Amino acid sequence: MKKLWTLALKEVRLAFRDVGMLVTMLVTPLVLTLAIGAAFSGGGGTLSDVPVLWLNRDRGTLSQTLVDVFDSEEVRDLIALEPVSDEAAARARVERDEVAVLVIIPEDFSDRAFPQAAQAQQALGLDLTAMDEARFEALTDVQKMELGRIFAQAPTSDAASPVTIELYASPDWRLSTAIVKSLVTQGIEIMNLQTQGVRVIMTRLVAAQIASGADMGARLSAGAFDAATVEEPQTSDLPVRLQIVAPGGRGFNWLDYSATSLSIVFLMFAVTAGGRTLLAEREWGTLPRLLITPTSPLSVLVGKMAGVVLTGLLQVLVLWGATSLVGAHWGPPLLVPLALLVLVTCASGVGAFVSAWAQTAGQASAIGSAVTLIGSALSGSFFPRANLPTWVQQLSLITPQAWGIEIFSKLQSGHGLADVLPLFGGTLLLTACYYSLAVVGFRRQFR
Amino acid sequence: MALVEVQNLVKRYTPTGPNAVDDVSFEIHAGEMFSLLGPNGAGKTTTISMISTLLAPTSGKVLVDGFDVQADPMAVRERIGVAPQDLALYYDLTAEENLRFWGEMRGLGGAELKREIAEKLALMDLTDRAKARVKTFSGGMKRRLNLAIGLLGNPPLVMLDEPTVAIDPQSRRYILDYVKQMNVNGTTVLYTTHYMEEAQELSHRIGIIDHGKLIALGTLEELTQQVGEHETLVLKLHQEEGGAALAEALRGSEEVLQASASDGEVTLNVRSAQAALPLALSQAAGLGLSIRTVDIREPNLETVFLHLTGRALRD
Repeated sequence: MKKLWTLALKEVRLAFRDVGMLVTMLVTPLVLTLAIGAAFSGGGGTLSDVPVLWLNRDRGTLSQTLVDVFDSEEVRDLIALEPVSDEAAARARVERDEVAVLVIIPEDFSDRAFPQAAQAQQALGLDLTAMDEARFEALTDVQKMELGRIFAQAPTSDAASPVTIELYASPDWRLSTAIVKSLVTQGIEIMNLQTQGVRVIMTRLVAAQIASGADMGARLSAGAFDAATVEEPQTSDLPVRLQIVAPGGRGFNWLDYSATSLSIVFLMFAVTAGGRTLLAEREWGTLPRLLITPTSPLSVLVGKMAGVVLTGLLQVLVLWGATSLVGAHWGPPLLVPLALLVLVTCASGVGAFVSAWAQTAGQASAIGSAVTLIGSALSGSFFPRANLPTWVQQLSLITPQAWGIEIFSKLQSGHGLADVLPLFGGTLLLTACYYSLAVVGFRRQFR
Repeated sequence: MALVEVQNLVKRYTPTGPNAVDDVSFEIHAGEMFSLLGPNGAGKTTTISMISTLLAPTSGKVLVDGFDVQADPMAVRERIGVAPQDLALYYDLTAEENLRFWGEMRGLGGAELKREIAEKLALMDLTDRAKARVKTFSGGMKRRLNLAIGLLGNPPLVMLDEPTVAIDPQSRRYILDYVKQMNVNGTTVLYTTHYMEEAQELSHRIGIIDHGKLIALGTLEELTQQVGEHETLVLKLHQEEGGAALAEALRGSEEVLQASASDGEVTLNVRSAQAALPLALSQAAGLGLSIRTVDIREPNLETVFLHLTGRALRD
């Protein structure tokens, strides 16, 4: 076992010290992924004119504060706000990644967020958010009395059941969504300050009026509420909840697609090159030397292929991390490594198969490249697999690339382990086929 | 006691092809320095490959320390170290990493391996280049490292296949001195070469191999005695061409037993240099050739090879 590990580590060390190999394994797929993702996807987004849909159903006026935030001088160039009324159509546009976010303000937003203002609006036609001392003084006694009643008796906002602003956001516009979320949060803060301020002002004004006017005080006392209940309000946050919702199934996204499919393509290049080293070692003279150490030929073969698998696994893990940093989504973090292990093992089977049947390292290299490119084209690594004819899709299942695309399509659209297990099974079956053919080839070659 | 027993060894690469090794038998005793001397393609490497379990013999038998190379190859591999003729190194690893890798593949580990690596680096004068990648080494340094790897674990039998090919004289001297020292310390050595001088300098016994056949076997004295009281006359010509014609012209004469030519040099195995020289000079003049130098040599392995095959060793 220690010798297997020694052999495997040697393979990894040699692979990662070869500059040409590093370019093939890591730099090229990363650059290509970014280029294709940027060219074909809106996923990268821009930091100006972020398209935001605005569905405002609020019966009250409180939500106007949010509009003011989005319409402010500071963010006018950043956000392209488009009011809409058809929710289904708006959601569809998000799902098609045409826009970054749909902001939905519910119709009871003002009523639930600031019930006193809603009642004042309903009973007196007053906009409390615009109320100040001068406007209060201009009110009639009846209006003042009614305001006092509202502030004493109106239901307080329910913190346990907050009103929700929904951000229906495309996962491909992550940065843009973060900006919109930040702006909405800022708007809620402003609303919070506004309503707190109005509450305090109104409570004090009503209390002062009761204290100064006996007639008013008597009428208020004789009224339906106890003046003593008009107390300084407790400071509390506005009961507004922000909920970010992603579309249920992720739509097609070039960055995601190319990140995974191209990583598998270049994994194939790396593992076929790794398998080729078995022939190269024969040419270097190191294979004969290995075979006269006290190590069985099978151990030498297994150790070398373990090294190829380990190298491939490190390669795709690095690519996963790097492409994720620029926004590519591979799937649930716990399942992605498992999927990668299955795919790397399968790809190493192809590498072993090519090496076992090639005569020289140069021949293995040429065949490996051809097998990789043809397999990638057939499986749809460079364009959406779904666009390929059905028979091509089925034929391409002899390649690890096709299984990889199928697996990651499932994982990227939110499917779980149970959904991808059959695909793992298919991939492992293919792996067994390639390794069986490789063993036949190796026996023929090294007998 | 024989550490290596080679019995009627035959290797044929294709069923209808010639025998690369043809019915070869010899023994190497424990502590002995044994050389296989022969020109390129004579079958030296094939013989070593079979002794080291890399190639299966077509027929015959090889025992190393009593273990049959075919029946018990792992036991044989544990007892041998090999420095192959072609450098077998990982050029992108450092000297130390190469030694560690090959040491671990021989089953060494821990403090023992660490000590072995330091010792071999020091012995091969590579300590200061231990952390450098092998691809930056000179040819001589690579050869020394190649040899050091073959010695890891201090196996009782070391096989060195042409270890001084294509290196500078300084590295060659270093390797020859080390091989001698290693043998003095008790290691049995099987050394192959096509350099007569190396075989003469190093060996207790020498096997001369040509076209797959072992044509002579013995100590240097035993082998040169086969030539008898003959002398070797070496004529260097001013011309590059014409040596073959002169050798051909001299071959029929009574004084000349054998004649061969290469690279503007004619080598004659003669009964008496004094008697043969005037004849050679006259024949050369007749062919329009002029002689630059004349060298009269005592019988040596070159003479023996010429005597046995009719060809110079370097042909």
